[in-house]
Amino acid sequence: MKIKNSIYSRRKFLNGLLGGGLGSLAVILISPIIKFVFPPYKEPDQVNLPLADYKDMAPGAIKNFAWGLKPGFIKAKSDGTMTAYVGVCTHLDCNVAWQPDKKKFFCACHDGWYDENGKNIAGPPPKPLRELQVAVEGEELIVSRPGAV
Amino acid sequence: MKKIAAWFESRFGLAPISAFMIKKEIPQTKHTLWYYTGSSILLFFAIQVVTGIILAFYYQPTLEGANDSVARIMTEIPLGWIIRSVHSLSSTCMIAVVMIHMAAILFTKAYRAPREATWMSGVFLLVGSMMFGFTGYLLPWDDLSLAATKVGTNIPRAIPVVGDWVTKFLRGGDDITGDTLSRFFIFHVCVLPLFILAILVIHIFLIQRHGVSIPLHDEVKGRKPKSLPFWPNFVWREAAVWMVLLGALITVAVLLPLKLDPSADTMAPAPEGVKPEWYFLFLFQTLKIFPANMLFVTGETVAVVLIIIAVALIFFLPFIDNKPAEKKGKVISALAFLGLIYAIAMSVWSLL
Repeated sequence: MKIKNSIYSRRKFLNGLLGGGLGSLAVILISPIIKFVFPPYKEPDQVNLPLADYKDMAPGAIKNFAWGLKPGFIKAKSDGTMTAYVGVCTHLDCNVAWQPDKKKFFCACHDGWYDENGKNIAGPPPKPLRELQVAVEGEELIVSRPGAV
Repeated sequence: MKKIAAWFESRFGLAPISAFMIKKEIPQTKHTLWYYTGSSILLFFAIQVVTGIILAFYYQPTLEGANDSVARIMTEIPLGWIIRSVHSLSSTCMIAVVMIHMAAILFTKAYRAPREATWMSGVFLLVGSMMFGFTGYLLPWDDLSLAATKVGTNIPRAIPVVGDWVTKFLRGGDDITGDTLSRFFIFHVCVLPLFILAILVIHIFLIQRHGVSIPLHDEVKGRKPKSLPFWPNFVWREAAVWMVLLGALITVAVLLPLKLDPSADTMAPAPEGVKPEWYFLFLFQTLKIFPANMLFVTGETVAVVLIIIAVALIFFLPFIDNKPAEKKGKVISALAFLGLIYAIAMSVWSLL
């Protein structure tokens, strides 16, 4: 039924009201679902390691540690200080391996190579390995994200 | 008996459908061989459903339980090793036949009007099947499946704008964790089956609606090829094919059972010789040969954008190839053939 001078019929109006209402309810419900689906995990700001495990490393030596859920490498530099790398390939996220005989990091997924300073030198990796800051505080080695702490 | 049938008929009223199925005719041409691929896919899919459900009776989708529960299926549960091997082998066979099915439709141009929507629903089924393979690969939770999943879930990150979110959504965070395993399990046993079943219903409905296509040259000349009744003649032949496939499948699964590597360590370096399932090999090799950086973006972004364009081209192919009998159609067939050669060559190369 359409009232004189009206642009809508009654049926059209009710269709729009019901359809639009249910449609917008569905859209509103998307937001909490999306919020729930992405968990709140964050990469650690810093990781504390016992200094005793790492202080006797020879210059150039590499030792593993856990950077949150990712593998990491502590490296003793020739000037006596230490640095750290996140042991995850910058190409497609595979864990890399340190190959002491070649003095290189190797990613087996797509044959990516990094030199001992974490620089990408061969294969598909687009960037060097991520470097972390290392500081000594008392009996602890503190590995942190640059700028985080 | 007749009374019962009459009762059902008065309640459900399905007689027109069964009458249609019985009267349906299958064209008999030199391309009839390809018509068997569709029902072979259904056979493998049915095997996946049955073996998948019973595997899930024992499988535990947790970091601690996943690998152990698969080991238990392989060693302790009666016939478990056969069930798991059949499930894995049948998935591979299903994808293989899906590829043959699609190639046959592509080169006979059976997607031409009015069957565009059938083709497009088929592309959804292909993507769904590959997602089935990808999510299932992680579930045994060994080093290879972990590395393959790391790479696979990281690839979307190269998609401009939304990439990071897609990767986080798939992984349930920034890393592969127990949450990823739960997610992949629920995709594999709940989300994808619902999706595939829904699309499959549409796909099969459309095939009934439009009938099986006849060869292009017959259609152009207005000839109607010989045909065979669907019931019982064609179904009888299909059943014979099913028996052969089922026998071959179980034989191979028994003679070459699947192995299981030790539980994955998320901190361990990626194992050497990481390879995805064979149907992802051409993508794997493509990603490997793209240089790290091209002009202003990473090679990965270029590769991913190309892959998205390729999928879009395949999806909209019936509209692109809108004059199948003319020169344009022949050019498109030639290009499709080159694409097929590329995929095969890349896959072979990755194995060298």
